[in-house]
Order: sequence, then C-alpha cells, then structure tokens
Amino acid sequence: MPHLEHDRLVFLALGESAADDSDRTHLDACPPCRDELDSLRHVAGLGAATQDLRDLPDPPEHLWQGITAEIRAAEQLPTLVPGRGQPVAAERADDPPPPAAAPAPRRARRARWSRYAVTAVAAAALAVVGTVAVLREEAPPEQAVTARATLVAYGSTPPAARGDARVLGNGELHLHVTNLPAVPGYYEVWLINPQNMEMFSVGVLGSGPDVLLPLPPNVDLAQYSVVDVSAEEFDNNTAHSGDSLLRGSLTG
Amino acid sequence: MSDTRQEPGAPEDELAHRFRAGDEPALREAYDRYGRAVLHLATSTLVNRSDAEDVTQATFVAAWLGRETFDPTKGSLVGWLLGIARRKVIDRLRSSAREHRVVETVRQLPDPAPSGSDPDTVVDRLVVADELARLPDEQRRMLELAFFDDLTHQQIAAVTGVPLGTVKSHIRRGMASLKRRWEVDGAAPGARPAGLSGAR
Repeated sequence: MPHLEHDRLVFLALGESAADDSDRTHLDACPPCRDELDSLRHVAGLGAATQDLRDLPDPPEHLWQGITAEIRAAEQLPTLVPGRGQPVAAERADDPPPPAAAPAPRRARRARWSRYAVTAVAAAALAVVGTVAVLREEAPPEQAVTARATLVAYGSTPPAARGDARVLGNGELHLHVTNLPAVPGYYEVWLINPQNMEMFSVGVLGSGPDVLLPLPPNVDLAQYSVVDVSAEEFDNNTAHSGDSLLRGSLTG
Repeated sequence: MSDTRQEPGAPEDELAHRFRAGDEPALREAYDRYGRAVLHLATSTLVNRSDAEDVTQATFVAAWLGRETFDPTKGSLVGWLLGIARRKVIDRLRSSAREHRVVETVRQLPDPAPSGSDPDTVVDRLVVADELARLPDEQRRMLELAFFDDLTHQQIAAVTGVPLGTVKSHIRRGMASLKRRWEVDGAAPGARPAGLSGAR
C-alpha cells in the first residue's frame, strides 16, 4: 500500500482541502501517515499562532544590568577559593548544573570578562587579590575572631545604618548590617588601605543582613584595615562608586 | 535556494559555539537575539511581571554559568535557553500553586482558573517562530501567506506570481523544516504523536 504523497499530507494539514474517501481509507489503515498528518497539523497550528510573536517587546534595560551583575559576582568565585565548597551563588544557577571547578579555564574566562566589563584599575586589583562573594542564609558557625570592626554610617548615610565586621579564623569576613538605606543598585563590600586609599572589592552584599565573604588568603589586614560598604549602580563599572554607606577600621 | 541554511557557518550556529566557548560578547548577542523570546515565555505564563523578569534574568545567568552543558548538536541555543526558562517558569508556577493551596484552605474559596498560558505551548510557538524567521525568504513568505492570511496554494501563486508547483515545493520544504525544528527544540512531548520517535 503506497503512503499518501507528502504534498498531500501538507495540503490536508494546512486545510487546503478536506480528506477524501481514499485519503481517509488510507489514514485509517496507516499509523505512520496518520501520525505525520497529526504532526503537520500541530505544526501548522503553531505556525499560525506565531503571528503575534513577530514584534515582541524588548526586555527592560535593568534586566541586562541584573544579568551582568549576577554573573560578575558568581563567575569570580571558584578561581579564588580552591578547595572551598561550591559557592551558593553558583548553586542558584540550578539548571543546568554549574560547571565543575576548573581553575585554569575559569581564570582565562574571568580575564576576558574583565576586559569586557571591568575598568582597568579594578581589573588590576581583581587580578591581584580577586573578589569572592559567598552568600549564605544562615549565621556562620562559631569561629575564632581574628579581627573586628564596628561599621558606622559614612557621609550622608542615615545614622541608624550600622554594621559589624568580623574576620574569622578560617579567613572569612562575616558582615552583619542593619538599616542600610535602599539603593537603586546593590551593595558592595571593600577593604581599603587608608594609607594610600588602594582598595579591592571583597564581594557583594545581598538583601539579607548577614553575609560571609571569603578573603584572599594572602590579604594583609594590617594594610587593608578599613571595611567599607558602598552603594553601586548596575553600570558595568567595577570601580568603587565613591558612595560609601558604612565604614569601620579592623582591630585585632 | 536550498534547505541547507543550518549548516555550520549560519550566524545562529556561530553564535551558539561562541556562547559555549565563553566569549562574553556572545552573551550580549544571545540576549539581544533571544531575550525577547525568553521574556515573552515568562510574561505569558506567569501572572506577576516581576516574577517574569526574575525568571528571564535567572535564565541568562544560569545559561552563562552552565554554558559548558549546552550541546549544540542536540538543539539550538534558543531552544536550550527556552528549556531553561520553561523549567524556571514551572518551578514558579508550582510554588505559587502551593501558596495558593494554603490560602485556599484557609479561606475556603473556590479555585480560580489559572490565568497564564501553558508554558510548553508557548515554547513550541517560540521555537516555530524562530525557525520560520530562519527560513529562506520565499519559503517564509509562502508560509506566512498560508498561516496568517489563510490563503490556499492557488491564491498564493496568484498573489505572488510564483508558479503553483514552486509554491507547493516551498511550502512543503518550509513545513518540513518547522516540523523538524519542533521535534528537536519543542517542549511538549505529550503533543507529539506516539508513532514518532522524536529527535530529543
């Protein structure tokens, strides 16, 4: 029994004509032709429904800014914390699964990303000490505290804003903040050398009051002794915005 | 004119390979090209606009961070992105359904009908729309006249001045491409007739 011509099936699927008796007889007896016709009909229906999809609106610009900010925070994680657990920020990318830590390629990727979105000055700082942001929901476990700082409102920040920074024995910075003013962008945490105002970003502060940020193992906290929380815009500029909200000096 | 437009070297494939290789400008290009489709999937399936924007953002972040898991031989980049977005949409729908059930139990209210579209259908439409846009101009034009203007092959031949046999051939090839693409990148295996093995 010869199958129906494919042209004929397309014809029927597009509703050019109704199936005649011989079509029906064949289709009743031939599952492959019937399935093909069903598929073609379904595709024709989908095709007809695409008319409304031709001029979809552009996403708002803040979406792209959010994407780059989130990626920038997440991509810098594994390179800088070899041996630590997978960071939460990567786990949020729940599907597909996050790529396994692969230090060399990741370093290369970060270098390219830096060229793309990072100012030269900030890139140099990142290359030296790197940036790590591990966000955790729960309070940190008990750890020896090797240094601490009380953060107070800086500049025109409302005085109710304050925070506490503790450097833990495992090399993490635990930050607890309260009453931070709302900002259009996001909060970023810095360590600053008050002698020459050199600084590097330690990571991004999420919406919660607590954050644990691994510090580079070789950081000299005697030099980089000031903890600073800044308000940053989603502007692809990773240098400090100059808008500090909180500051405090670490004391051992 | 031929059906070979998807061979390596097509702009979509080149973008997909650069994306997978971690070339940052490819992320922006993919977003410019497919961000609208992902946002449409989210906004047409989720009631809350900010949920839809969250899903769109999370989709591109997850795709970029997980780009090594993208296999260009198994489907297109936009199909993969829509698959990620679809799972995120379904997660949101499930969690809001859970919240709703709680509220419902408390208030003993009747169950309002869900207001969003079915995510699988939206994905399938977007995939077919993408393929339609990639077809050679003549094939696309003939199919659009058939789909949108509901013209017969004869009428299309009359309107376009293209011989009837050529119209038929364009439409047949175009339909074959749309169907193949739907089988590869579509989301709704349930809609697929059981007799088809389905290239998934």
